[in-house]
Amino acid sequence: MLHSMQCFILAGGFATRLWPLTEKRAKPLLPLAGKPLITYLIEKIPKDLPITVSTNAVFKDAFEKWKKGMKRSVDILIEDTVQDDHKLGALGAVAQWIREKNIDDDVLLLTGDNYCGFSFEDFLHTFHGITLIAVYDIHKTDRAKLYGTVITNQNTVTGFEEKPIQPKTTLINTGASVLPSHILPILTEWAISHPDNIGGIFEELLRRKQHIECFRFSEPWFDIGSFDTYLEATTTLVGDNIISSGSISPDSKIEGSVVIGSHSQVIKSNLHNVVLFENCHITDCVLENCIIDDNSTLSHVDLTHKMIREGTILVPKGSPWET
Amino acid sequence: MRYRLLLILWLLTDLLLFVSLYTLAYFLRVGWILSTDFPFDRFLFTTIITAPLWLLVLGTTRTFGLTRNQATIRNGAYIAYTALVGVALFTLAYYFRYITFFSRLLLLHALFYTFVGVWVWHILFQRFERWCLRLNPPTFPTLIIGTTREAAELIRSLNKNRNPLVPVAILDSQGNKENFIESVPIRGKLHKLEQVLAAENITHLIQCSDLEQSLNFLTACRKRRITYMLLPSTMGMVERDEWIDSVEGQPVTVVSPSLQWWHWFIR
Repeated sequence: MLHSMQCFILAGGFATRLWPLTEKRAKPLLPLAGKPLITYLIEKIPKDLPITVSTNAVFKDAFEKWKKGMKRSVDILIEDTVQDDHKLGALGAVAQWIREKNIDDDVLLLTGDNYCGFSFEDFLHTFHGITLIAVYDIHKTDRAKLYGTVITNQNTVTGFEEKPIQPKTTLINTGASVLPSHILPILTEWAISHPDNIGGIFEELLRRKQHIECFRFSEPWFDIGSFDTYLEATTTLVGDNIISSGSISPDSKIEGSVVIGSHSQVIKSNLHNVVLFENCHITDCVLENCIIDDNSTLSHVDLTHKMIREGTILVPKGSPWET
Repeated sequence: MRYRLLLILWLLTDLLLFVSLYTLAYFLRVGWILSTDFPFDRFLFTTIITAPLWLLVLGTTRTFGLTRNQATIRNGAYIAYTALVGVALFTLAYYFRYITFFSRLLLLHALFYTFVGVWVWHILFQRFERWCLRLNPPTFPTLIIGTTREAAELIRSLNKNRNPLVPVAILDSQGNKENFIESVPIRGKLHKLEQVLAAENITHLIQCSDLEQSLNFLTACRKRRITYMLLPSTMGMVERDEWIDSVEGQPVTVVSPSLQWWHWFIR
């Protein structure tokens, strides 16, 4: 008899490298091409799978608000941490959930700050009661050094290397996995001494002679961990298009991938690869490779490769926007 | 309030000192008598009306600036210049009021005494002022951004010279294994900015790294009316040969490696 399955999404991190965009916003709730990052995951998960999203108390209200906008039921589980240096740890959060909810189902484990372009139906179709991880070929050795790499023999995982100096492979562990119910006791036991080492559980499984299989895919995948990867993900998903919920004046020049959030205005400006969040006013600016957070007003400025904090006002003296 | 009171005290004592030093110059030159050739009442009256104007000129040199170090040649030069202006103002005031010139040698004495006396007083008062401003809780708690060696050197220098800007916390984008730099706690990464600014009542922020975030630090500082400072080494200027100038009214930071020493007078 097949076990039933539940989905657990890790969304508890503080994403310090994406400051200031993540100053008051959980990284999984960062808009990507007009939609929160985590929404992409939710939409791909089969409708009969119960979903639990684990986050920390700081972002509780934001996730509750986000949940109301979803067309399916999602449980929000709050970790009891308010600071980055006191968080439960990814594996600790999973173990706590398994223990408290007496989970004995198979678990689809996902990380909320990753964009996964592959089909979850295909992914789950490949699962046959053996631990399954989704692996992605990042193609470049120097990029593989930044991730946990996966050594395979056809579709069987034979080893892992965490951020290797000289990677043996360019296959990386995406953080998406299916854990069969019978390994959950191993996970909860190991999490006691390694609460923050989510990648290490797979190495532990190998040490205990558990089989691990891999699911390879070629669709886009992004770990939105930095300004550059966020911008890269945006340009890949949006292409040479504009996604706009705001307004753009006819005398503006728009190139590359541009996302305009709701109630944002672009007047007489040149934008190239720019993401404007909500309620931004951009007047006579030249912006390239920029991400502008909510409620910002920029006038007569030229910026390149910048992440601009919420509520920024960059306006010369005497401008009508000056407060 | 502490700083405002100290500043008022400083200004008042400077006024008093100016009058006193001119009076001292009078009696040391004339003798401990009231000369009829150089009436003391006229002298004192003119000194008293000159003093506020002299103080105004002294103020324009920014010698009363919070972070100005009084014990430097540059500051001494400003005080000397102001002493000279004081003598000129006295001469003009005396002439306009009494249609006669005053004793030139006496005024030279006054020039020397005000230069030396005011400079010494400024050095002493600054020591007192800095002691007061650094008393717990410090009047100007300062946040340092960055855990570079330049940041450490800055903190060391601020504490060694008992600067009124007292580093109370450090933030860094990369995180750091250390917990303290020069006894100042590293509070974490940049996402703790708002928390630290509020908790420590920060009045000054000095950015020593993470240049790409300067706009965001500026936004945070403007919102909270915090003074923002940028260490030139953050922009790669490490030779300490930069200065601030203006081009068509626009302030600019300048580095000009090919300058000769005498260019200082014409730059």
